[in-house]
Amino acid sequence: MQPRLSNGPGPVLCTIVPPQILDRLSQSDDPLLSGPARRTLEADGVRRARRRLTALATVPAFRTASGTPPTTPHRTLYDCRHGTDLPGHKVRGEGEDPTQDASVNRAYAGLGATFDLLHTEYGRSSIDGNGLPLTGSVHYGEKYNNAFFDGEQMVFGDGDGEIFLDFTLAVDVIAHELAHGLTQYTANLVYEGQSGALNESVSDVFGALVKQYSLCQNAREADWLIGAGLLAPRVSGVALRSMKAPGTAYDDDVLGKDPQPATMDDYIQTDEDNGGVHLNSGIPNRAFYLLATALGGNAWERAGHIWYDVLTGGELAADAEFAEFARLTVAAAKTRFGAGDEAEAVVKAWSEVGVPTTSTPAAPSPSVD
Amino acid sequence: MRIEVSRTGGFAGIALRREVDTRGLPDAAEWEALAESALTGADASAPGVPDGFHYRITVGDRTARCADPQLTEAQRTLISRVLKEGA
Repeated sequence: MQPRLSNGPGPVLCTIVPPQILDRLSQSDDPLLSGPARRTLEADGVRRARRRLTALATVPAFRTASGTPPTTPHRTLYDCRHGTDLPGHKVRGEGEDPTQDASVNRAYAGLGATFDLLHTEYGRSSIDGNGLPLTGSVHYGEKYNNAFFDGEQMVFGDGDGEIFLDFTLAVDVIAHELAHGLTQYTANLVYEGQSGALNESVSDVFGALVKQYSLCQNAREADWLIGAGLLAPRVSGVALRSMKAPGTAYDDDVLGKDPQPATMDDYIQTDEDNGGVHLNSGIPNRAFYLLATALGGNAWERAGHIWYDVLTGGELAADAEFAEFARLTVAAAKTRFGAGDEAEAVVKAWSEVGVPTTSTPAAPSPSVD
Repeated sequence: MRIEVSRTGGFAGIALRREVDTRGLPDAAEWEALAESALTGADASAPGVPDGFHYRITVGDRTARCADPQLTEAQRTLISRVLKEGA
């Protein structure tokens, strides 16, 4: 069974088979996890220092024979077999049957769900708008407690089983990584300080939207958690982050307490983590949650469109701070929905987290009529 | 010799710092050779990637920085041994 993906106009909502179901279907045997795969050190030692971010301009667009961007994804999944060479060994291409490896199938379904939301709701073909093929690698490294986007592809570790489980378990984590690609191809927010926290927040927002879209949940039904199901059973916590209540996702002897601030009053100044990009993202995360729940209905519709318009609209500076992003969301709400409830709700949401929406990017120049 | 690895960033944004004191260890020479290799290959200009881990390796009074996924094998091995988890 595979997720049904949209092939054109028409009602496609809620037709995706949730990755969790695909997961159960394919979880039977996993020789890679049970096998004695151990990382062996490469004889040649030094890894190639790939500067992938600078190579992006050479990535070819994937187009159909007619020249129009494709309406279906082009996914390829690789297995790193616990090594760290990327992308690894190809294990599943687009349209191929599920494998015996649940991690592969979850990543495949998660990439498909993200493609489907972008295409169906926002009319965008893949992260670059031109049908860019989506590449994911699973089983990266040994007991690797992380997932990342390396500028070209998504990479998922298995977790150590002590603190984290397999990073493909949460569809919002898969979508979060893919959304880093969306940001890279659009506003390209600098991954440092407030613009970095916005970059992180945008990934959490689209991660949450893909999860809600996959589960057919409206804004009030959703849990607004990022990485639910990712923490090992012994960890005291429900997820890695909470968009609804930043700072409450976990409180554990080993991990400590979720340090995310929920308002500007608690903004964290730090040199670590690129200036706390995974910490201060709690502030715009909560603003999005407040907007989506105030508007009601499906979060990917009105609230999601406002965020998407800002991200892709061309006005957001790469080094934008929260206030600039906030101001542009108000403008985007007015452009798309008029000066009504939506714009008012946007102003109120940012106000609640202490971010002004009335700032201007530069001092107005005096009129010389 | 004191070898410290500090890790920041990552999807969860949870920092981790551990250290090993090689004095008296039967494999001290091996640790020190590995640490030396890790320092040699450090690339302070490595920009890192979204959600990628950043590492600071301190050996005695010398410090080097590196980031996933652009680690040398010596860095990866040292980080993994000191943090006692995957790197």
